[in-house]
Amino acid sequence: MSQLYKVKVNGQHELTVDASQGTTLLEVMEQAGLEPHYHCRNGFCGACRVQLVSGEVDYVNDPLAFIRPGDCLACCCTAKTDLEINQ
Amino acid sequence: MSYSTFNKNQINPLHEPMFFGNSVNVARYDQQKHSIFEKLIEKQISFFWRPEEVDVSRDRVDFQALTESEKHIFISNLKYQTLLDSVQGRSPNIALLPIVSIPELETWIETWSFFETIHSRSYTHILRNLFTDPSEVFEDIVINEEIQKRANDISQYYDDLIFYTQLWQTHGEGVWEVDGEEHTVNMRELKKKLFLCINSVNALEAIRFYVSFACTFAFAERDLMEGNSKIIRLIARDENLHLVSTQQILNLWQYGKDDPEMKEIAEELREEALAIFMKAVEQEKQWAHYLFRNGSMIGLNEEMLCQYVEYIANMRMEAIGFDAPFKQRSNPLPWMNKYLVSDNVQVAPQEAEITSYLVGQIDSEVSAADLGDFEL
Ligand code: FES
Ligand SMILES: [Fe+2]
Ligand SMILES: [Fe+2]
Repeated sequence: MSQLYKVKVNGQHELTVDASQGTTLLEVMEQAGLEPHYHCRNGFCGACRVQLVSGEVDYVNDPLAFIRPGDCLACCCTAKTDLEINQ
Repeated sequence: MSYSTFNKNQINPLHEPMFFGNSVNVARYDQQKHSIFEKLIEKQISFFWRPEEVDVSRDRVDFQALTESEKHIFISNLKYQTLLDSVQGRSPNIALLPIVSIPELETWIETWSFFETIHSRSYTHILRNLFTDPSEVFEDIVINEEIQKRANDISQYYDDLIFYTQLWQTHGEGVWEVDGEEHTVNMRELKKKLFLCINSVNALEAIRFYVSFACTFAFAERDLMEGNSKIIRLIARDENLHLVSTQQILNLWQYGKDDPEMKEIAEELREEALAIFMKAVEQEKQWAHYLFRNGSMIGLNEEMLCQYVEYIANMRMEAIGFDAPFKQRSNPLPWMNKYLVSDNVQVAPQEAEITSYLVGQIDSEVSAADLGDFEL
């Protein structure tokens, strides 16, 4: 069953993501042709940090980078609700 | 407060701050105040690698075909990396182990430093392959003025913390005269020095290293010096963990999740910490200038490298609560990322010794037949 959520990036791009596919926020942004920041793609370097303006995410693995309140790590999380993110 | 290798007092490490509490006694990890450090240890150990597993023999031919300006870039880079890892291979141990107070962080520091020694050994592996006698390269590290300027800034905060910790552990708090100079030793001063030191280490691992990484991978983009590039990828993966560990420490302090006095100090010394990062960025730009003084290389020049430093610095500074100070928001060297993705880091099987396959894969099932006529 698909679970569709809307992800708004930098207040301008409206993306749709199917959370049941396990696509990470980083992949969602890449598929939309945006150029998100990343290095490790594995939750341990913090390079993919984006601001989580509204909504909630689920982490697919336990990230080692510190997640400051109001941030999320795009490489290792999926949408749990509609989201608004800035990078 | 003198250091004891086994503190006889009963202490509860769950109530200790990361640093400057009681010294650790039992190395136990069944309960943890900050479990993140145990996770970093596990991850780091899972990354274990040996320089000798990477075949660098083809690099020699590539190196000989480089232009003089490219040789200058390549070798200066390696010298600088050698310096950075010489410092990192010992300093976290010497500066931080005497003052650490929770076992999981103590073990992380030791694990971290150990991996730095792997990095140091790998530079020798690379250089021994390029030169019959690499002495000249190593000897220049302590003579070369450009490298010296950096060495000074990098070691200064460590040295300061180490010196004050030694005074405190041998004489206690007070004003002590050493070689005609007065030093005020109290807990607040010690903690300030620790705070600045961790910022400086973070700037080193999170920003300074990336200038060198960019040069290495620019060669790799042209299919040159690939053995070297494989090694630097492994190093870069380790460095990601190291920089995240100091980001963790800084954030735990800032968010009041550890020593409340460190939270105050983080606020009080915010500008000084900022200055450490800005100076590191400035020095790295000067270094880029030095690298390219005899000419650029295909795919990379001084300007691009300086933009990359700003890009990386923005990212790192935001991670510890500063506003991004530079306008470079997009990645000027997009090809860098593929060398930094952890999944891409592999030692090619045909280039690895057979033992590399066995790391972490020891067969744990032993049947009676396996033991055969084994007798005690
Ligand atoms: S890319 Fe490294 S933590 Fe996400
Ligand atoms: Fe290192
Ligand atoms: Fe390191």
